[in-house]
This record gives sequence, structure tokens and C-alpha cells, in this order.
Amino acid sequence: MSERETLAEPTASPVLATSVFPLMTRGRWGATCLAALVAAAIPLVMTNQYVLSVMITTLILLVLNISWNFLLGVAGVWNFGQLAIYALGGYGAGIIMLHSSVSPWLALLAGGVIGTVVAVLLSFPTLRLYGIYTSLLTFAFAEIVQYVILNDGSGLTGGSFGLPIVPGLYSSLGLSTSARAYYWTALAVVVASTVALAAVGRSRLGIALRGIRDAPAYTAARGVNPLRYRIVAFAISGFLAGIAGALYVSYDQSISPSVMGLTPMSVYVTMLVIGGLGTATGPILGTILVQIVATLLVTHPGAEFTILGLFLLVVVVFVPEGLAGLIGRYWRKVAAWAAEDEQSATEAAEATGETEGSPDEYVA
Amino acid sequence: MVATDIVGIAVTTLILGSIYGLVAIGMTLIYGTLRILDMSQGSMVMVGSFIGWGILVVAGLNPILAILAAFAATFILGVLTQLASVQPLMKRRSAIDFEMVTFITTFAVAMVLTNVALELLGPFQRNVTSVVSGSISVYHGVNLPYQSLTMALVSIALMAALGVFLARTRWGLAIRAVAQDLDAARLMGVPVGKLYPLTMGLASALAGVAGVFLGGLYFAYPQAGDLPLLEALIVVIFGGLGSLPGTVYAAYAIGLIQATAEVIVGTTWSLPILYTVILLVLIVRPHGLLGKPSEARL
Repeated sequence: MSERETLAEPTASPVLATSVFPLMTRGRWGATCLAALVAAAIPLVMTNQYVLSVMITTLILLVLNISWNFLLGVAGVWNFGQLAIYALGGYGAGIIMLHSSVSPWLALLAGGVIGTVVAVLLSFPTLRLYGIYTSLLTFAFAEIVQYVILNDGSGLTGGSFGLPIVPGLYSSLGLSTSARAYYWTALAVVVASTVALAAVGRSRLGIALRGIRDAPAYTAARGVNPLRYRIVAFAISGFLAGIAGALYVSYDQSISPSVMGLTPMSVYVTMLVIGGLGTATGPILGTILVQIVATLLVTHPGAEFTILGLFLLVVVVFVPEGLAGLIGRYWRKVAAWAAEDEQSATEAAEATGETEGSPDEYVA
Repeated sequence: MVATDIVGIAVTTLILGSIYGLVAIGMTLIYGTLRILDMSQGSMVMVGSFIGWGILVVAGLNPILAILAAFAATFILGVLTQLASVQPLMKRRSAIDFEMVTFITTFAVAMVLTNVALELLGPFQRNVTSVVSGSISVYHGVNLPYQSLTMALVSIALMAALGVFLARTRWGLAIRAVAQDLDAARLMGVPVGKLYPLTMGLASALAGVAGVFLGGLYFAYPQAGDLPLLEALIVVIFGGLGSLPGTVYAAYAIGLIQATAEVIVGTTWSLPILYTVILLVLIVRPHGLLGKPSEARL
């Protein structure tokens, strides 16, 4: 009963985002397909191996950020242990690839399964907590995982050096061919997870999660069990994070504890918040933008993080809905003007007047 | 366990507890009044260490001057942090998840401060001269450097001074009033708009002073604030967010756990053990030792 009361705390109002996985209209489907096709054609024309490798890393990061966005933005659970789930999925898959002869594709799947299991286990202690306490508990979990991997005496994880050369998915292919193969694999996973999570966002599950995030007491009163849905959200997010980790270890041929910790986490949070937490396109925009800044300033880490920090501050204070929300707002305005003649007044109002915590958000 | 170990643990507990208390009490003060978990406190420690390095090593001046300068500079920095990262959000306070959003904005400030230091001063670890040199032998084989002793005494004195400030002075009463009931305090004429920057400045100044001493114990470098921040976070949760007495108890309790862990299993595992403790605390008592769910504290 006390859990129910804690979750019904009135402070848990809408998080940062305003629009959440909007309905996939025909136009959106077209835009998504076009974007995916353009992205898929890039390695055919791009010959610069360095740029291609940055793009592959970005795609793998996108999988992680999409999974994290689902938990942070859609479910509103402040899980700061996502990188530990990601790393454990990566280490699990990497160790399987190293020490067993099963197909690397099975190892990839195993990474996802490990991610799911870890995430579900991590979700249990968070069920009594909300907001800031959730983030502290999950962060403590991530720190412990990092220390255990770093100081592992058995030699399984390789300590601070990480795993030795992991064969990976495409170890039989040449350098440039395997780079393309990794690019397309990672892109396929990004597209699949974006579409899958958009579908989840539309389903009863997505509606329930947003309801729990925005109005926990009301949603619980309507018969949605917040605890069960939180565990499900962790499981979905953990599966994708584990897959992302497995893709990382496969492409990088190694994984070390440096994938976790405060510094990478701050970069990924910046990506999500700048892009627009809880939106479908936000994490993609944010990740790509921040990766571009990071790649351009790779020789000036101090300047890079100063810019990212200032960016984060400005976005959170002045554009709380993120770039995706900003673009969406103007797009809706344009669409509303274009359709002014035929559209009824209510539809136009709905298109432009979508505000934070408006009562129609969780009924939608 | 040998007597030397026990004395060693006691001495380490005193030192660690005092320094954790100094950093953590500022975070508690901020959380109690503003409901913000200020992630920029770690970088205030870092700024304090660099000011200590600048005044003691580069300029070769008096340690007292270093402490005063660190206090003043981090006070101003704390006020500026509040104005940049918290004040603009105050109007939208009820419409957003204030705790999480300010958690992110103060974290952004920490990112900026750390990396401006990295860009200006480079990644090098600078030796900071001890504020006081020499050491005293407490027991066979247990030495207590005067630096650590002074640090502990200054920390305790500052914590006591903060207690008196909150209990006796007009501004201190105002801070506690805001912590208990914002609207009532405002109705009684408490200038809330001035109080928030003051609180954050004060807390940052405590962290800055801690930085001067910590710089002498370890080094001054851009990431010098990360570890104190994480340790202060552990203390703050352990004591219950927003509870001042809870924070002081927790600081020494965490110091004791860490000191014991260092003696028994070694330094490497002391932080993971602390995290495990905090994990268990959050599972068993989700609001820390003395914390209460959503009641006003301080």
C-alpha cells in the first residue's frame, strides 16, 4: 500500500516533453521510409572510412539512446543505470563470442536477453522509489557494476583493459565490407526499434506508461498497475540496451569499463535532452547533433564539453521540449495554416495548442 | 583486529566524516530550501582546490587568505549558478518536474565549470601546499597529519557555525522558514528571491573551503570534484535528503564504513562497498535514515 502512495506523489508531474510518440500518419511513414533509405545509401557513396566508423558508432549509440529514451522520456523512470545494462549486455555477448563457438547472431540475442534480465532485476528495488531517489539507486548500481568489472580478479572481463579482440558478427569479411555490413546492421536495428517503440507508444502499454508518468494517482485509480508497467518498461528498454551493447562489442571488437561512468552518461543525457526527451525523433536528432559537435572538437575535449554543457543548460531552460518539440511545434503551425480551409476549429486548436500536461494528453 | 587498526579507523573516520560533512551539508541545505539536488557542488570543490593552488603555490601567500578567497569566489560562483540554472525555472516550478530538471541544469553547470578548467588549466594534477605541515603521532604507527586535523576542526567549526546561523540569525531563520513552508514564509515577508541565491552561495562556499583542504590532501585537477560529489551524494541519501542532523550523522557513519572497509578489504573496494550500503539503505528505508517522505525539513 505504501508503494501505491509513494507513486501517487503529486510532484511527479509531466517531465520535459510535451509530445509523445505521435500517431504514425501516412506522411510520417513516408518520411521515415525515405530517411531510412537515404541513410542506407550513405555507405555506397561514402568512401572515407573514418567518417563511416563515426557513423556506425553513432548508429549503435542511437540504439542505446532510443532504449534509454523509452524509460526516461516515455515511462518517466529516471534510470541512470542504463549504461550498466548496456555494458553487461556487451560484456555478456563479447564473452560468448570469445569463448564459445555459437553463432555471433545468437550472442547478439544473448546480449539482449542479459539486458532484459538485468533491467528487470534492477527494476524491483526502484518500485518503492520515485524521481531523484530512483536515479540515485540506479546510479549506485551502475557504479558497483563498473567497479566489479574493473576489479574482476578472474580475468574474465580483462579489468580496465577490457575484453581482448572479439571476433564479432562479420569477422570473415574484409575491412571495408564489414564496415558496410555493420552500418546496415546497426541501421536496421535503429529503424526496427524506432518503429517498434512507436507502435508500443500507440498501444495500451504506451498510453498506460504515459499515464503513470503524468498522473500516477489517476492512472492507478483507473485500474492500471504502476508497478507491473514499470517492470515491463524496464524489460523492453533493457532488451534494446543489451542489443546495443552487443553491437558495440561486435563492431569495436572490444569493450572496456570506460563505456560507463559519469562522463559518457553526461554526454548521452545531453543528447536525449537536447533532442527532446520522450519524443520519437528527439533522441535521433540529439544523438546526431552531439556526435557532430563531438567529432569536430575531438582534439579539444574541454571545449567540447563546455559547449555541450552550455547547450544543455540553454535547451532545458528555454526549449524544454527539445529540438524535436521545437520543430514539431513549427511544423504543426505550418500544417494548420495549410489545412485551415478544410479543418474544423477543434482540430486546428488541437494541432497548435498542445501544451504541457493538458488533460487530453493521457486520454489520447 | 589490532589496536593500531582501531585507532587508525577512528582517526580516518574523523577526517573523512568531517570533510564529507562539509560538502554534504551544503547539498542538504540546498535540498532543504530549494528542493534541488545540486550537482554543481563537486565543481565548487574543484574550484576551491584550484584557488588553493593559485594562492598557496603560484602566489605563495598565506593559507588563511586562500581559505577566505576560496570562500568568497565559490560563494559568488554559487550565486551565479543559482541565477543561471535555477532562477529561470522558478516560474514554471509547478508545471515541470522541478527536481529532475534542476538536477540536469546544475549538472550542466558542473560540466561547464569542469571543462572550462580543463581548457584553461589543462588536465594536470597540481600539488597544493598543505595549509599546515607536519604531523602528530597518535598511536604506534598511526600518524595524523596536521593538515587533516586542521581540516577536520575547520569542518566541524563551519558546520557548527552553520547550525548557529540557521538557529539564531534572521537570515538563517528565513532559510528554515522557506524550507518548512514556502508560501507561509513569503506571506511573512521573507524575501524568497534573495534567499535562494544566498543559500546556494553559502553551500557552494562550504564546498569551496573543503576544496582548499582536499587539494592539499590529493591534488587540484579539473575532475577533482567528481569523487567528493559522489561521496557527498551517498552521505546525503544515507542521512535522508534535506535533514541537516541526518547529514552530519551520515557523514561520520559513511566515514566509519569507508575507514573500516579500507583497513579490512583495501582501498579499491571501499567505494563499491559504500554504494552497496546505499543501495540497501534505499531499498529498506527509501528516504534515508532521518528523511521523511515529503515533509518540510531542516
